[in-house]
Amino acid sequence: MFLFALLSGLTLGGVYALVAMGLTIQYSVSRTMNLGYGEFLIAAAFSVFVMFGAFGISPYILAILVVPVAFGVSWLIYRVMLMPIVRRARSPLALEIDSLLLTFGLLFAIMGVLLLIFGSNYTNYYYLSVPVRILDATVALNRLVSFGAAVIVGAIGYWLLMRTRTGMVLRAVSVDPVGARLVGIDVNWAAGLAYGLGGAIAALGGVLISTYMTFTAEMGVVFTMKALIVVIMAGVGHVLGALIAGMALGLIEAFVSAYLDPGLTIAVIYAVFLLALIIRPQGIFGRVAR
Amino acid sequence: MLEVSNVSVRYGHHLALENASLSVSKGEIVVVLGSNGAGKSTLIKAMAGLVRTEPGASVVLDGQPLHKLPAHRIVDAGLALVPEGRHLFSTLTVHENLLLGAFLPRTRDRAEESMERVFEVFPKLKQRLAQIAGTMSGGEQQMVAIGRAMMTCPRFLLLDEPSLGLAPLLTSELFKALPSIATTGTSVLLVEQNSHQSLSIADRGYLIEKGVITGQGTAKELLESEEVQKAYLGG
Repeated sequence: MFLFALLSGLTLGGVYALVAMGLTIQYSVSRTMNLGYGEFLIAAAFSVFVMFGAFGISPYILAILVVPVAFGVSWLIYRVMLMPIVRRARSPLALEIDSLLLTFGLLFAIMGVLLLIFGSNYTNYYYLSVPVRILDATVALNRLVSFGAAVIVGAIGYWLLMRTRTGMVLRAVSVDPVGARLVGIDVNWAAGLAYGLGGAIAALGGVLISTYMTFTAEMGVVFTMKALIVVIMAGVGHVLGALIAGMALGLIEAFVSAYLDPGLTIAVIYAVFLLALIIRPQGIFGRVAR
Repeated sequence: MLEVSNVSVRYGHHLALENASLSVSKGEIVVVLGSNGAGKSTLIKAMAGLVRTEPGASVVLDGQPLHKLPAHRIVDAGLALVPEGRHLFSTLTVHENLLLGAFLPRTRDRAEESMERVFEVFPKLKQRLAQIAGTMSGGEQQMVAIGRAMMTCPRFLLLDEPSLGLAPLLTSELFKALPSIATTGTSVLLVEQNSHQSLSIADRGYLIEKGVITGQGTAKELLESEEVQKAYLGG
């Protein structure tokens, strides 16, 4: 049982870590909170479900199509919907509140479209659901492949952020937007890029999860909340922290579900979240705000 | 040559700056003296595009109007600001902070050259490249902030109270560095609250009071003026 919990925890945690990385990039660079984030994940899951059903193409190959589209749509949402409120915001706090309200609406708009097309039924499909034996536990192949893909993309994303010029620019904007403007960085350009990257990562997470999880049109908010918990727990803008905390969240879920009760997972996660907030309000890896 | 004319800034109903005009020639060091809340910072922020000016304002650098450009384009046009509070990328290394100064395409190819110039002015920074900027002392952070602004290859450098919060010894070290920046043709405009030191390195100065520029003169005239002695130099 231990090994089974460990394996399912790692596979789930890998995707959580990836999805949280996307949200922390969006949030820290653009300083706007995107409550519609999880809808991108679910929309991607449904698009892959439809195309896999229609053409029988591997979901992992379909990701090559879905991910760039998600990038474009997210970028466009920043330019069209968020930039106007960024322009008129009088303070960072006002911007955060305005963006919460706006993306709260976005959440329902996307969810509404998904409900209209797919209804509220639980949806799943079978791809690579072949049992693989690891020592004395079995795990589905699709979970392993998805885990592998999440780890690879997470590592590449982290490397790009830390080692490339554009990555450095995004980090600079997240640390100090005023400083960034003063070296000639167009902060709106950077925020649009961060939105696109975040949306693309969420969509990839959706594709990966759809191969082994049952999903509904109303489930986006669950992923937004989990990603948000990870982002805040790790410390906003701390990418490595989000990857570690996301992995930890997956493991906690799996072990609680295996040893206590599957119904308790959410309760335990929120308890851990509360505890982390009480002990380290700036996030486990975060620094005290200046 | 930088010409600033009729710059007014309003925060809500409060007129923080009223019809400010000044000019700085190439290679000149000019100081704007004023007490706390006189509008010095507002003037300098308006020039850098960080606060909105009232209609009628104009800021022209070597014939190019800057007052309609967003802040990041003003930097590209050659006017750099070392802001109050420094606004460093505090979790990034000193090296990354300096490299980001050379973000613009026009400055990127010259990044190594510019960095050598920064090390000439602040040799200390060369040994600190790997340090996280936020962990440095206030004086060292100010050097990074000025170095970062130098990396943008400015024709015009604005400094907002660079001595604020620094020990006197560090302040004089910092002020000694400014003329060496100006000798390469970069003009320097700094605002200061009270300082013999700023006037001793400056060519000219302006006085600002309650949002209005009330006087000007050469640094020598201002140092000798009784009015200035009383108001800014502590008797």
